[in-house]
Amino acid sequence: MRQSRSATILLLAAAVATAMAVFLPLWWVFASSLRPGNSFVKYTSPLSWRAFIPVGGDFTNYSGLLGGEFTRGLLNSFLVAGLTILFGLAIAVPAAWALASIEFPGRGAVFAFVIVVSMIPFDTIAIPLSSLFQTWHLSDSYPGLILPALANGFAIFVLRQFFLGIPRELIDAGEVDGLGRVATLWRIVLPLSRPALIGAGMMLFLSQWQAYLWPLLIGTSPERQLAPIALANLSTLFSVNLGQILAGSFVLSIIPMVLLLFFQKQYSASLSTTGLKG
Amino acid sequence: MADTAHRSAVALNDAAADRPAARPPVTRAKRRRARRDTALAFTLLAPALVAMVTMRVVPMFSAVWQSVQQLSLSQGRTTFAGLENYRFLLTNSDFHSVLLVTLVFNLVLNPAIVVLSTALALLLSQRIPWVGLWRSLVFVPAAVPGVVVTPIWSTALQPDGLVNAVLRAVGLPAQPFLTSSSQALFSIGIMVTWGALGYWMIFIIAGLKDIPESLYEVAMLDGAGWWRRLFSITLPLLRRPMSFVLIACTVGSFLIFAPVQILTKGGPNGSTNLIMYDIYNNAYQIGDLGVGQAEVVVLMLILAVIVAIQFRLLREDSK
Repeated sequence: MRQSRSATILLLAAAVATAMAVFLPLWWVFASSLRPGNSFVKYTSPLSWRAFIPVGGDFTNYSGLLGGEFTRGLLNSFLVAGLTILFGLAIAVPAAWALASIEFPGRGAVFAFVIVVSMIPFDTIAIPLSSLFQTWHLSDSYPGLILPALANGFAIFVLRQFFLGIPRELIDAGEVDGLGRVATLWRIVLPLSRPALIGAGMMLFLSQWQAYLWPLLIGTSPERQLAPIALANLSTLFSVNLGQILAGSFVLSIIPMVLLLFFQKQYSASLSTTGLKG
Repeated sequence: MADTAHRSAVALNDAAADRPAARPPVTRAKRRRARRDTALAFTLLAPALVAMVTMRVVPMFSAVWQSVQQLSLSQGRTTFAGLENYRFLLTNSDFHSVLLVTLVFNLVLNPAIVVLSTALALLLSQRIPWVGLWRSLVFVPAAVPGVVVTPIWSTALQPDGLVNAVLRAVGLPAQPFLTSSSQALFSIGIMVTWGALGYWMIFIIAGLKDIPESLYEVAMLDGAGWWRRLFSITLPLLRRPMSFVLIACTVGSFLIFAPVQILTKGGPNGSTNLIMYDIYNNAYQIGDLGVGQAEVVVLMLILAVIVAIQFRLLREDSK
């Protein structure tokens, strides 16, 4: 298909305008986070180019933020997300391997169960689950924060699809060499499965990193507060430091962004296996 | 995100097709091996199944169970209440307004997100210099955690924030946004849309890539113009990804909570009292757990209907 020069320029202009409109608020957050305290407001009324180019800015907000409650929240968030990846994969990998490689009666039913359960949106059952966690003495604890995220049917699904794609000969070769099914998984299949492990790991990580309702319901004491709660609490303080809130917003956003940048391929491959192509 | 939860209608058919083929004659050794395999399979599956049952299935039933209980503060214990909590909820005018606000919000927001993300996908799949860069810039907000979208936009929408600054710069009057009962829900809609567009755009772009180029070539030979090709080829063939995005997005929007809890507390005048916040409020702020759980059950039923519609649509499509 040929495209005239003027059409290309028109499309380019539209694309640039849309991309800017969507991206600008985020850029403004970053620029404003470099203005100490609430001083960024000076540049929006009236609007000046300095609202977007932080000349003369500094890192006051970041040092203030990292000296406060937020740092503990951040460390807790890393701990909880990291353990979720670790235990989540430790649970999902064997399950996916069983579903992909062993023929046993009831396999179809178990797989259907995994799919149907993973379609229950977690937030709908978060409130009944939190009252169960109270009776199970799990509220306000690290296990309480981590456990619900471990029931991730999509991680199982993504891994199973990947395992199914591994050539049968490789797996049979393992059995000929006298490896059992578990040893085959560990020695032959897992080393080949890096992309799927990264994809499923990203899903587990993002499900924790984006969580707000659950940590709000369960992790009440300050020592176990997660970063999003610490960020939300900043806006309820007596004197609100918006610059610090924007700095915290930037920190919490840049981490998944960098991860997505590095693992974009594996993550979108996983999304598309769980997606329309089935 | 609730989105991931809805992609698997296809997977279910897959599971049915996956049944083991007719077996060869069974010898005793084979049978022993099969038994060992089954035991191994369930051992490997056990942790996952236990997690899914305790963390997903049990709370669903406990919501139903607790929704027919009543906590008596005077006696300090719970008693069976039958459908009393439901009766209270369904005859309560506050709950009617919660349902109305939630439905209106969803009926406007989700079609808007589908139309906008489709428009973005169409634009950003044209031949444009550095198209990858523009696409990434549109996607980036989707990586911002939902709870972080809230402080970003509450700052941008405040009286001397970014949005009013831009409005004033182009000669329009400043708006109250979150503090006005007629604009607060709309403002929450803007936040959600901004955080969601890039994500859903990716699915529509994937759908666009599945449309065979040859269809367009034939249409061009027939002299069909850009609009004609859009309405006769592109949009009909995007029906499946678009309806998927609509359903997934609707389920997500029914669960919106953080902006309401952090910014508006349902106000001004109940104008942003979406159902998830109302449940939280009933169960944990007012402390009427029974009514809160009845509301959870109502929400689960609404979402089940939506997901059932999705299954139907996808099945009709694959015929």
